[in-house]
Amino acid sequence: MALPMSIPLAARVRARAATGWARNAPFALFWLLVAAILLLPILLFLLVAFSPRLFDQGPAWFSPAGFQGAFQGPMLQGIADTLLVGAVAAAVSAVVGFAVAWVVQRTRVPGRRLWTGSMFALLLVPSYLIALGWERLLEPQGVLDLLHVPDSVARGLLFGPVGVIGVLTVKGIPFAYLAISAGLRGLGEEFEAAVRVHGGGRAAVAKTVLALIAPAIWSSLAIVFAESISDFGVASTLANDAHFPVATFELYNAVDNFPVQFPVAAAVGWVLLAMAGLALLAQHAALRGRSYRVLGGRTRPARRRELSRPAVAGVLGAMTLLLLGCLGVPTFGAVSASLMSGLGTLEGGADFSLDNYRRALTSPALYQPLLYSALLALITATVTVLLGLVVARMLTARRGRSSARMLDLLLLTAVALPGIVFAAGYIFTYNLPLTDDLGIHLYETTTLLVLGYIATALPPAARVLFGSVGQVQESLREAARVHGSTGAGSWLRVMLPLLARPLLSAWSLTFGATLLELPVSQLLYPPNDPTVSVGIEKALSNYDYGGGTAMEVLAVLAALAVIGVVWGIFQLAAPAGWRRLGRTS
Amino acid sequence: MNAWNRRRPVAALAGVLLLGALAACGGNTSGSTGSANAVSGGSGTAPLVVYSSQGYDSAVTKAFTKATGIPVSLDDDSTGPLLAKVAAERNNPQWGLLWVDGDTAFAELDKQGQLLDYNPNVTLTKAGQTLVPANHSYVPVSTTAVPALVYNAAKVSAVPTGWQDLLGAAYKGKVGMNDPSQSGPTFPLIAGLMNQLGGESGGVKAGESYLSQLKANGLQVHPTNGDTLHALETGQIDYGLIQSSAAAGEVATAKKGPNYQPRVAYLGTTTLLPGVIGIDKGAPAKVQAEAEKFVQYVLSAAGQHVMQAADPTGDSLYWPIVPGVDPVAAIGPMPTSYQRIDPYFWGPLESQVNTFFDNSVK
Repeated sequence: MALPMSIPLAARVRARAATGWARNAPFALFWLLVAAILLLPILLFLLVAFSPRLFDQGPAWFSPAGFQGAFQGPMLQGIADTLLVGAVAAAVSAVVGFAVAWVVQRTRVPGRRLWTGSMFALLLVPSYLIALGWERLLEPQGVLDLLHVPDSVARGLLFGPVGVIGVLTVKGIPFAYLAISAGLRGLGEEFEAAVRVHGGGRAAVAKTVLALIAPAIWSSLAIVFAESISDFGVASTLANDAHFPVATFELYNAVDNFPVQFPVAAAVGWVLLAMAGLALLAQHAALRGRSYRVLGGRTRPARRRELSRPAVAGVLGAMTLLLLGCLGVPTFGAVSASLMSGLGTLEGGADFSLDNYRRALTSPALYQPLLYSALLALITATVTVLLGLVVARMLTARRGRSSARMLDLLLLTAVALPGIVFAAGYIFTYNLPLTDDLGIHLYETTTLLVLGYIATALPPAARVLFGSVGQVQESLREAARVHGSTGAGSWLRVMLPLLARPLLSAWSLTFGATLLELPVSQLLYPPNDPTVSVGIEKALSNYDYGGGTAMEVLAVLAALAVIGVVWGIFQLAAPAGWRRLGRTS
Repeated sequence: MNAWNRRRPVAALAGVLLLGALAACGGNTSGSTGSANAVSGGSGTAPLVVYSSQGYDSAVTKAFTKATGIPVSLDDDSTGPLLAKVAAERNNPQWGLLWVDGDTAFAELDKQGQLLDYNPNVTLTKAGQTLVPANHSYVPVSTTAVPALVYNAAKVSAVPTGWQDLLGAAYKGKVGMNDPSQSGPTFPLIAGLMNQLGGESGGVKAGESYLSQLKANGLQVHPTNGDTLHALETGQIDYGLIQSSAAAGEVATAKKGPNYQPRVAYLGTTTLLPGVIGIDKGAPAKVQAEAEKFVQYVLSAAGQHVMQAADPTGDSLYWPIVPGVDPVAAIGPMPTSYQRIDPYFWGPLESQVNTFFDNSVK
């Protein structure tokens, strides 16, 4: 900003300094928030691995005992199993996610909206619900046993590595789908046409497409790997029942049982961090030095292909099978358990009734947590999407690479660390005597719980937005500015229409995930205000399987209803151009 | 305009919205306090922060507030997460009173200097008196026992009378128990077994040998009481070694029929598992005084009545240690042969024993 020369020099200097401060203040504030919700909790918790005495967790200022504990017995086995589970789940999810994205984006196969909606539904279902659904089906005296269907082979597979990897793959598919479909959507068809024009066959086209959407594929691999190794839902249910130790549950045991071993848990946190670091390195090595900016003013949507009848039948069959395995079985397991009072007992036949739902809808202990969690999920999703947009912009910007790398590393670290560890870090950080002395009383408040939710939701939300934001060329907005648009106006008129759908997708993902989030809620919920997941956990631990599963079903339905309403409003109220952009015609 | 500047408005918007949202929800903590032990202004009454895993704690805290006017902020959770919280808060405790089953954790907290010595001067039953620590660092207020043997009488007729019976062919592959690294009452169960087999001098070795033999005879390990009971209900096992309150609750609530008839038995000498209250030594004097009143209330006839009525098929199934208070009918009489293990001796062995169990039995 130019200052009039009539103003004295000292005043001009002060004014410039103030202007500079005002310019930098938003980013200082942003980094302050990132430090408060991500950096400090992670850092302080990880420090405990080396220095137990720092937080009164042992007598030594420096000790390798935490790592010694992490690299022996079941803990070591858990780490090895986790590496295997993460790698296989990421690879299989990417393949299946790509196939689903291709079918939905590039073909005229019937039911595309259903397949897309199913991916979102799958995203909303917590992993423990999927695992429990399969367990209800295949456990001894489960549904198949009662129906006299031989299931010993399937049971053996489910209660072991195959089952654990399978369920985590199922949870990974929607992440992969979202990341890859966002890349495919922005790709257009001109690159494929160019290959064809130059004599390339299907293989050459596929190779080109895969190369161009490499950021989305690597993003998918990284996020599914990180999500899988940090999963707690499957670890605490199926893997635990199967005596298949994974790192997150061993870590949870270290902080959840007496004597509590925070240094060992922190050491396992370092190991998970290292694993996520490997994923990040692989992603960077694969993408370094290349440009993937394919979405611009001349981009035209790709045409959908007509498939032959046998191909349509095959695709529909495969999609149906996939969704039955991913959603049908767990849904059946949860709904049947919520409607029956005697499933899984030697008394066999089950009585069907709506009593559990009646209880869930009339008992304050059951419905109040649902309302409370819905409010928190609403706040978390809205704030997270805005922050996620900022983060995605920083990660894809050509300038400020060092800060972007630092942010990327921080986000992947956050993804890799299990929620329960995050929560422990929050307790450390926000219960320090220093924070008390500073007048910051966040411990055991709703505010801290929301901060924890945002911190755990931000990495996946930013990853979902990363692909789309990275494809938008800055020239679009610069053109708007040249034609007289203001900074805010150019955002609203150029960027928002392009990003509205990904933003809404990220919001939906965050809302659903937050509504049923367990580990952070477990350690950070304010006294007397349990969240819905804590309420469900309490019901299940008190052997109230009917009430607990009825709450689960109601919570999932509530999540779907809210997301349905939001998308419905978008369809009705958003300008036609917003709805068209990002979709193939 | 560089890229940095272009991102600025979005960052500012996000920051402002975040702060606004947090400000909006920050005050809505309904019952929680920012600093738990701070004295609230005006009334001069400090809220007592109670960390509890008892199924009847909500009813008891409400009744206590009604009786005394002292506000209580209750954090009800499972024992594991509560102890994790207490450990994490060690340098800045937020709790005023901790109330969970088992005294080994309290012995450790006492060694760390975190517990206020307090003697409520209430007469206890003979069993209750055995549970009181010499230095009064914590207060037992009820007791259950480990193990209770819950079995399916519709499928099996043999009922073991001692630990050695379970090594016989009749029980091969039919016995289940909990994982001590996931189930709070199970380490005291194992410690009690060890104490019984070899005392404090040779108990660990004798117990490890016994558990290895039990494993060789097909012992099945499930995470917690609920999972072991589920295995019993689904016919995966016919005998389960669990906490007495869970066993009695199963008998009281399970759907029974020709294929499932749960019964409870005790293996000779059983081990007492007390419900225990500890008071934070670092809490303000006013909060400590309130906590002492809470202990007095819990040990009173009125407090015991609330405890017994609030969770009739769960944690209310305990044996009172206050004379004149009868147990809930569903729990039945207390076993005549029982032992108390020294939590100051066995508590520090928990990691070692759990590691053995993880490596050799699970």
